[in-house]
Amino acid sequence: MSNATLERPRPRGRGAPASAEAPPRRRRSGWWLLLAPILAFDVVLFLTPLGKLVGASFADNAYQRVLEDPLVMRALVNTLTISLASTIVTVVLGYIIAMVLWRAGNVTRVILFAVVLLPFWTGILVKNFAWAVLLQDNGIVNAFLQGIGLTGAPVPLLHNRFAVIVGMVHCLLPYAVFPIFSSLTSIDDRLGLAARSLGAREGSVFRTITLPLSMPGISAAGLLVFIISTGFFITPVVMGGPGDMMIANQIDYYARQLTDFSGAAALAVILTVMVSILVAVYQRVLKAGGQHENN
Amino acid sequence: MKTTNPQHRMLALLSIPAFLFLVIPTAIVVPVALNDSRYITFPPEGISFAAVAGFFADRAWTSALTASLQSAAIAVVIGVLLGATAAIGLHGRKFPGQPAVVGLILAPMIVPTVVLALAFYQFFISIGMVGSIVPIGLAHAVIATPYVYLTTRASLAGLNPALVRSAQSLGAGPLSVLRHVYLPIILPGLISGALFAFSVSIDETVMSLFMQSPGATTLPVKMFTDIQFNLTPKIAVSSALLVSVATIGLLLQVLFVLKRRSSTRMLPLAVSAQT
Repeated sequence: MSNATLERPRPRGRGAPASAEAPPRRRRSGWWLLLAPILAFDVVLFLTPLGKLVGASFADNAYQRVLEDPLVMRALVNTLTISLASTIVTVVLGYIIAMVLWRAGNVTRVILFAVVLLPFWTGILVKNFAWAVLLQDNGIVNAFLQGIGLTGAPVPLLHNRFAVIVGMVHCLLPYAVFPIFSSLTSIDDRLGLAARSLGAREGSVFRTITLPLSMPGISAAGLLVFIISTGFFITPVVMGGPGDMMIANQIDYYARQLTDFSGAAALAVILTVMVSILVAVYQRVLKAGGQHENN
Repeated sequence: MKTTNPQHRMLALLSIPAFLFLVIPTAIVVPVALNDSRYITFPPEGISFAAVAGFFADRAWTSALTASLQSAAIAVVIGVLLGATAAIGLHGRKFPGQPAVVGLILAPMIVPTVVLALAFYQFFISIGMVGSIVPIGLAHAVIATPYVYLTTRASLAGLNPALVRSAQSLGAGPLSVLRHVYLPIILPGLISGALFAFSVSIDETVMSLFMQSPGATTLPVKMFTDIQFNLTPKIAVSSALLVSVATIGLLLQVLFVLKRRSSTRMLPLAVSAQT
């Protein structure tokens, strides 16, 4: 989504049904009525609020103001480092899970799919609450670490960056598993069979066939996970410390603590532009991956 | 292909921590809620329904539950109506500007929720619509609709547009085509989309947080506010409720998938990723 569509939402919304009224060949004008409700809804309740947000961001020199705020710069750096770390861990874990799903029999696969989807269906607060229970000072993880003698006193596992990354990876894993799984299933099984029949070991089959051919899935998963990571708001508050606030928290801080709307709006536009660029890259990667599969 | 060579066993072994990491947090929620202790601990010290009773006796929590159900109802009704009509309207049709229309329908999925939260907060204040659950439900409907659109579109994928034309040439009016051609085919997609919409709304926190008011505080918002001070048994009960809802939703989805015998149908996000 470009800035232009955000700034002037109405002409586009009105323009779309108008151009839609020139149907190809046959005239079945009644069908366009089916699109009217969603277009009207999205123009009024999606494009208009976003357009107002973009408009507000240009007031009071907001961009310059927020970009000169050291707290904002820190939140931006936090967002990038936390998102990058979460993405790497998520993609590695996601790859292992996707491999298992790929190799599993049909019934096992459905069960394991359900296991992967459960965190996706569970709300973020529930997941973070559960992690807080597990990672607290008298929680089971600390009890385990003390039990095996790794540590004498409870290790602070909560309210730090480690906890934020753990909480985020748990939310993000399903998003990594699916793209990797689909690129794995598109690999021709006969390639592996051929390699093995020529004496290749499993390790080299993985290195020379499976891994390279699943690269489109890995890059798609990595980008998707990174895109979602940059917008996290709840997890840094519930599981992080004061030094782990991300850009979304800074937007909240500007809007609800400082009641600085234009500042909050400027930050929101910066985040949206960042995400939009990544989404565009992501779609190119998906397209490239699709062409690869068709070869 | 089934092989039981050592490498695959190693992969299975390697994956156990990954699967435990996924499952354990969700699995402990219900036991924690039924713990017989004033403190939040796992493993539980005994089974008790005291916390559950405490939750349902607390006006603040029960009204949060009501608010959540109300916003979900708004999101599901609007999401199903708009998502389904859009999917049918776009099925088998090509026209200039169609990519823009599809892009607009799916766009709410990619805008970060905190950005939407801020935009809605500002927007609903500017039109004087604050202090009730309605703006929250409308906001949830905005992000839930694309899911219904996608699931409905997926179930329409197998429908040959020629079938619609032949029904029309046999004299079926628009309403009867909707009822007898489209409805039976989209029903699984509609139900699955309604489940998605419900789940999106019932778990949504950031927009509800920005637009909260004394009369319109949803369950996740109440949890978010309380969790910053302490882990309390009532948060645990609320979590257990939401996990139960999620599990039921997921089981229903799995049943649908098993009926359709295709594990790729279980890739709701792969669907969204392809667009």
